[in-house]
Amino acid sequence: MSKLYYICKYTPVELLQAMGADCAILNEMPESFERAEQMAHPNLCGFGKALLESVLSGKVKELVLVNCCDTIRSVYDVLKDSGQLDFLYLMDMLHSGGTCSRERAVSELKELIEAYGAYRGSSFDEEKFRSAFVRKTQEAESHISVLGARMGEELFQMVSRSMPYPVRNESCVGNRTAGEVPTQQGLEFDGLLDWYAAQLLGQLPCMRMVDNTGRKQLCNDPTLKGIIYHTVKFCDFYSFEYSEMKLKAAVPLLKIESDYTLQSSGQLLTRLEAFAESLADGEREHKEKRMKKGYFAGVDSGSTSTDVVILNREKEMIAGIILPTGAGAALGAERALEEALKSASLAREDIDAVVTTGYGRTAIQFGDKSITEITCHARGAHFLDPEVRTVIDIGGQDSKVIRLDGEGNVVNFVMNDKCAAGTGRFLEMMARTLEMSLDEMSQLGLHHKEDITISSMCTVFAESEVVSLIAQNKAPDDIVHGLNKAVAVKTASLLKRVDGQEKFMMTGGVSKNLGLVKTLEEKLGTSLVISESAQLCGALGAALFAMDMVEETED
Amino acid sequence: MEIIETFGHTVEKLCEESPEKARTLLKTGWKAQGLKFRLFPDRRLMPADRYLAKLMMDTMLKPLKNPADSAIVSIFTPCELLLETGLSPYNAEAFSCYVSASKAEGFCMEQALSDGISETLCSYHKTFLGAAKKGLLPRPRCIVYTNLICDANLVTFRALADLYQVPSFFIDVPLKQNEENVRYVADQLKELAAFLEEQTGREIDEERLKERVASSSRSLKNYQQFQKARAGKYIPTDLVTHLYAGMTQNILLGSREEEKYTEMLLKDVEKAAPLRGKRIYWMHTIPFWSSAVREALAFKEDAQIVGCELAQVFDGELDPEKPYESMARRMVSHNLNGGISRRIEAGIRHAKEAGADGAVWFAHWGCKHTLGGARLAKKRFEEAGIPLLILDGDGCDQSYGGEGQTSTRLGAFLEMLGGAHE
Repeated sequence: MSKLYYICKYTPVELLQAMGADCAILNEMPESFERAEQMAHPNLCGFGKALLESVLSGKVKELVLVNCCDTIRSVYDVLKDSGQLDFLYLMDMLHSGGTCSRERAVSELKELIEAYGAYRGSSFDEEKFRSAFVRKTQEAESHISVLGARMGEELFQMVSRSMPYPVRNESCVGNRTAGEVPTQQGLEFDGLLDWYAAQLLGQLPCMRMVDNTGRKQLCNDPTLKGIIYHTVKFCDFYSFEYSEMKLKAAVPLLKIESDYTLQSSGQLLTRLEAFAESLADGEREHKEKRMKKGYFAGVDSGSTSTDVVILNREKEMIAGIILPTGAGAALGAERALEEALKSASLAREDIDAVVTTGYGRTAIQFGDKSITEITCHARGAHFLDPEVRTVIDIGGQDSKVIRLDGEGNVVNFVMNDKCAAGTGRFLEMMARTLEMSLDEMSQLGLHHKEDITISSMCTVFAESEVVSLIAQNKAPDDIVHGLNKAVAVKTASLLKRVDGQEKFMMTGGVSKNLGLVKTLEEKLGTSLVISESAQLCGALGAALFAMDMVEETED
Repeated sequence: MEIIETFGHTVEKLCEESPEKARTLLKTGWKAQGLKFRLFPDRRLMPADRYLAKLMMDTMLKPLKNPADSAIVSIFTPCELLLETGLSPYNAEAFSCYVSASKAEGFCMEQALSDGISETLCSYHKTFLGAAKKGLLPRPRCIVYTNLICDANLVTFRALADLYQVPSFFIDVPLKQNEENVRYVADQLKELAAFLEEQTGREIDEERLKERVASSSRSLKNYQQFQKARAGKYIPTDLVTHLYAGMTQNILLGSREEEKYTEMLLKDVEKAAPLRGKRIYWMHTIPFWSSAVREALAFKEDAQIVGCELAQVFDGELDPEKPYESMARRMVSHNLNGGISRRIEAGIRHAKEAGADGAVWFAHWGCKHTLGGARLAKKRFEEAGIPLLILDGDGCDQSYGGEGQTSTRLGAFLEMLGGAHE
């Protein structure tokens, strides 16, 4: 018998079971949206496309949808037209839980009984209906909650593996409770459906419901240790809740966004691990090694360059190396470490501990531990200037803003979305279009005459804007200043999201770009701290963490 | 254009110092524009459309002048009840358009994004939210909204009610067209009447309301008749006239002014020149700011827009003797409500009535319903003999970019239509 799939907690699962259906949640993350994008516009929400992909793969034959949002309505239209399903139904659930809505919901339930009954040749079995309700209990224990838009099963598993506490999925269908109460006895069919409609509509509301004040309880659980707030690309509902919750949540909160594909997990993993590190700050004191020669190395393997710092036991930097990463993270890291050892006249065995960080951190075999670049940048920045409270790191692949406390611990952070706008790569591409090197570019824009605005935030469109500015004979100084402004706007927006506070430090290779620094300072109305070791900040933090791993011994 | 750009920059700068001053500047700018419409109207337009430009400007200025006598509404909210209680519709989508036309939408959207609002949210919503947060747009008496067509309304207008701390009323419109749903919506509209009476202290006179609904019915019919009559005529038009009509045929239904506009249209069409050029029926909003679209379709004799679905949202009959039921029916049987097929069928019907040679399905960034139905629309329109171009873009956000691509796509489509007709 084929399964009947559903996606929404307002689906009358128990009623469908009473009609003989074998119900299961559909929540897979596909490899790509190849089939979905042939049938629907690419700018549809990722979950909608994941749904299309699942059906078009032939796996799903029965599907009951709810008019959750405009995307799901559209998915229904597309699927209906495709004729790929044996049974497809869209429930029109209203947006409030009042008496009138309940009456309308009862009508909807009756229509569904009729439609599914006609398809399957079955009728409503009251006994099956009553036995479909199963009471569930949840133990009070320290936990992390996933909130926000629905999260794909594979991503949820990744989140669960990364966190230091058990993780509960409180997003969307994850917190369905309609089937957890015993049915009311002594009711006729109509009365029973009315009671059931009240159970469905009375669940903890999702964002599509008009009155969603009940959602506040989601972050009031005393055993809640942290929130992972998830949004889906091209789904807008939950960004509203996030914009409030980020200001009000009493526990640490991490915002992540997925496009519902299995790709891009690398970038999400960095955020999740950094968040887990910030939750487990107190636990990092554990000394795992004993001190020998008293040298410690940090390796920051970025997408553009690999940086190595070696510290001695007095926390003095005795080597700082920056090399292009090249083709492989592991090889690049080996070379950079060799260079650093050579410049400090040390041998490999002189190093007591190595901590790796950066995008390629897990690919490096020789490290004793890997820590995300977010935690390392914070630590490095604090070491360079203890008064710094916000770090702006514009790297090749991503840009991040990190808020830290007086001890150098991460309080909050944000990263750019899966998009090159506002990153070093954006500037690199534009430099190429302008046929200049990044060094030349960093000098330009300081003395602009005309205030040009590059209006497009999209890297591809911005490139064509630059091409047309070149065609208009605009001065390179002015164009570069326009580009710097575009990056500054994007960075300022990230800063606002974490409530960035002074002092600001800028790290990463882009901090050498004088024109951009000046524009950003103008935008923020304050000066940025830029250390001579700005580019080595991540590696420095890693080296400091390496030092933490080692217990000092009396010689 | 540079003057407008400077105007936008000045509004932005002023807004940082004092939102009130920025609002005054905005009001002054729009008043000046209104005066221009009065004294130096665009002579290329027919008299009705010149009247419409003024009417829209006046409609926009009212909430700025007397915000306490206005209610923020989403575009498909029936406004007869508002007008009856003396409240002017303060339409979010229209305001975002005008803020964008004043080149001030960028910093408003930037504000919304830095508050954490998703960048993929419709830019009409982002602009209005940002402008409200910045204090550029004033606090209304109350807010009335509906989920009809656009579910982002649910979150945007709720956020606005929180921000302004004003009472709000939500009209829940089910998807299916049946009498039970009409009754469900009519009951809500009766509650809305009580809500508005409480907000304003003004009573709604049932007889006057009936007359308003009768006027709505006449305006809708006149417009329908005009659209059919234009099939054989050439009526010079720009990009905004159809958008204006899309706004007034929704929020000003029941007003004498809107009825007058539609009466003028019927007179104009009689005097209009005979048909010439290619004719495009436009689905969803029109990117009025796009120079690529303007160059292809504004005041062009060889190609023009002859209708927009936003101005033709209801084809049924209204019974003024049952005003609440009539307004409810207009919502439930709205051409864009329900499955995408209803919307596509209405589009095909209206395109044929207006004698369109082709149609554009404008895939406005952030509009999930329009994006979701794009491929189906292409298939169905073309099956009905109307070539359709899916054009990606943004109706409000001028930084969307891609003008070169828009120009190529639209240009090639028009060339293709020319080829088909020669």
